[in-house]
Amino acid sequence: MTAKMLYPTRRVARFGAIALAAAVLVSCSSGSDDESDTTDEAGGGTTTLEYWGWVPGMEDLVATWNEANPDVQVEFHRMTGDDGEKVEAAVDAGSGPDIVQLSSDVLTDYVINDRVQDISEFVGDDESNYTPSSWKAVSVADGVYGLPQGVGPAAMMYRSDIFAAHGIEVPTTWDDYLAAARALHAADPNVVIANLSPTEAAQWQVEVHQNGASLYGTEGDSWKVSVNGAESKEVAQRWQTLLDEGLISTVPMWTPEYWAAVNEGRIATIIQAAWFPALLEENAADTAGNWQVAPMPSKDGQPAAGDTGGSIVVVLRGAENPEAAATFISWLDGSDETQAPLIEDGGLFPSTLNGLESDSLYQPQPFFANQVINEVYADAVQSEPDTWSAGPNFATAFQAIADEFSKVVTGQQTYADALDKAQEATVADLESRGLSVAD
Amino acid sequence: MASVTAVRGSRRKRMSPAGSRLVPYVFVAPFVVLFIVFLIAPIGVAIANSLFSQQAAGLGFGGVERVFVGLDNYVRALQDHEFVVGFGRVLLYGVVQIPVMMIVAAALALLFDTGLVRGSRFFQFAVFLPYAVPGVIAALLWGFLYQPSVSPLVGGLSALGIDADFLAPGMVLWSIANVATWSTVGINMIILFAALQGVPREMYEAARIDGAGELRIALSIKIPMIAPAVLLTTLSSIIGTLQLFNEPQVLKSITSNIPSDYTPNMAVYAASTLDRNPNLASAMAVVLGLATLVVSVVVLRLTRRRNGVSDGV
Repeated sequence: MTAKMLYPTRRVARFGAIALAAAVLVSCSSGSDDESDTTDEAGGGTTTLEYWGWVPGMEDLVATWNEANPDVQVEFHRMTGDDGEKVEAAVDAGSGPDIVQLSSDVLTDYVINDRVQDISEFVGDDESNYTPSSWKAVSVADGVYGLPQGVGPAAMMYRSDIFAAHGIEVPTTWDDYLAAARALHAADPNVVIANLSPTEAAQWQVEVHQNGASLYGTEGDSWKVSVNGAESKEVAQRWQTLLDEGLISTVPMWTPEYWAAVNEGRIATIIQAAWFPALLEENAADTAGNWQVAPMPSKDGQPAAGDTGGSIVVVLRGAENPEAAATFISWLDGSDETQAPLIEDGGLFPSTLNGLESDSLYQPQPFFANQVINEVYADAVQSEPDTWSAGPNFATAFQAIADEFSKVVTGQQTYADALDKAQEATVADLESRGLSVAD
Repeated sequence: MASVTAVRGSRRKRMSPAGSRLVPYVFVAPFVVLFIVFLIAPIGVAIANSLFSQQAAGLGFGGVERVFVGLDNYVRALQDHEFVVGFGRVLLYGVVQIPVMMIVAAALALLFDTGLVRGSRFFQFAVFLPYAVPGVIAALLWGFLYQPSVSPLVGGLSALGIDADFLAPGMVLWSIANVATWSTVGINMIILFAALQGVPREMYEAARIDGAGELRIALSIKIPMIAPAVLLTTLSSIIGTLQLFNEPQVLKSITSNIPSDYTPNMAVYAASTLDRNPNLASAMAVVLGLATLVVSVVVLRLTRRRNGVSDGV
């Protein structure tokens, strides 16, 4: 059941739908544009693009586009819950949308399974407006498969009141961090420096990225998997010390239990991406004014950040008119007009240079005692190592890490053991797909 | 319209032998069609899928090919340590949870049947009510009761000096069993109670005249008389146990002690959605289906021999 087999069916169905739409539209349209695309011949110059995404406020942006572009009409569908998994099935079954928002981590898998279209010929000129790391996220194997829509640079949110109450300095290096963890715990046994959730590998990803590592790389015609690479093991060692000395909690993230700990002031720092502050404010409103944001601690105190990965908008395999789709994405993600709404309504941290210059990014946040927190996140973007690259079975690797980390917090193994096992599972999965993996 | 009626009328009078032979098939057709489309066909597709694999080469950018691999996926599934352990886990769960649940359900049914309970309609309804709560919702509700910071249950126990951790590695399986028991006791009680209502009352009178007490009547007459209903509920519980999914999958989001392949059904789900390997997932699903079949047949054989209950199942 390959996508190719079903593709003609989809073509027919889509053709029928557009022909029907055209019959309605033709009475009021003059049929001005005459493009070579078969769809357009039937549609009297009108292309309809279906777009699935999850960013808040997208309906308004799509309406703005539709008003200005009568011949390329976009229909927006808001994704919720498990829609991410639905997209793959929809594309393979030939009934997917034209454009979809994805986590950048899964793109390689989409390329391998032939679910996306290379749009480099339409968006090549856009490169200069995007940060290099975000551009890297849409570039796979000589192709450009979409445009970035937001990134996830990480920083450290911390409880300024707790640090002040115990007279402890906010750490800037990992050594300071460990010292602060011990001092905090000694001052108040109920407080931990951090909650390292075994089921939410994002903080691990951020620290590993900061350390200049990547889960995946390539060696010639083979994948190189470094789940348990030296840089990762170094982070694992740090986590092991924190765990062994009882300086962290290990509650699964996003649970009522987790938010209770945050609200009760039992967690002193949270290292998370730029999209997290809005969630913190929403779930811990009573702690307003007690939080500040500082750069992540680093080895030597020099700025270095990690990233949780961003989202991208891609043109899917079944899209009849990739050029129109690419033009729309180019406007949506990169134009001056859309930057402020994406930041203010969408809550995105921009992957674009014009977005990083937008005033709306640098507003004081009352929840963070009127700190302009995005200045910290903007610096973080600049200090991210250029090492992270996505691989073909990211979801499998991350699930393996989460499953193995869970056994660490119950004392069945160490973080280092967990990484070795996750490495093994990731390699075995790649090999079972026939992909070659370098030793 | 009129002509159709006329034709039908005239046909009925001289229905040919061929026509009458056709009638049963017409009646059976809707079931057969649905059975084939929604049961046989999916099983066929799953078996076919399980014999193939999506293969790429090198970095994978040269395209993906669907290759016939015979039983490779089955070998991989059975070599998957966690998948096999999952079967052991649900069997252990079943050995404990099913008897507990059946004993509670039977005890309640017998109690209600004695007519000694005041307001039995209300209590029957109360026992049955959890069944009306969807499994996912039940797991969410209990999830809140299991989390120390938000649970009145954990708080209350700790006030009594009992330090309960319902989500601890060794404990979480029984916390899942508790949710399942809470959900299913009601429906099993109703089925057993309905069966008890069908037992002729004269038998109890005869037993009483012979000097049997209520307990003796319950154990020697009532239970044997409703053996088919007990078997039915036990069998459906066993099948439900092997397919355990909702409760652990929901509780997985609040504890790290339930990995993604905790039960066989969860492993199938993880293989198809997280690992994006529908072929391996199909093989696992077929293994799970076969295991369910084997366990069901074994249980049926054993009980048939012991109780002489063979009709209808």
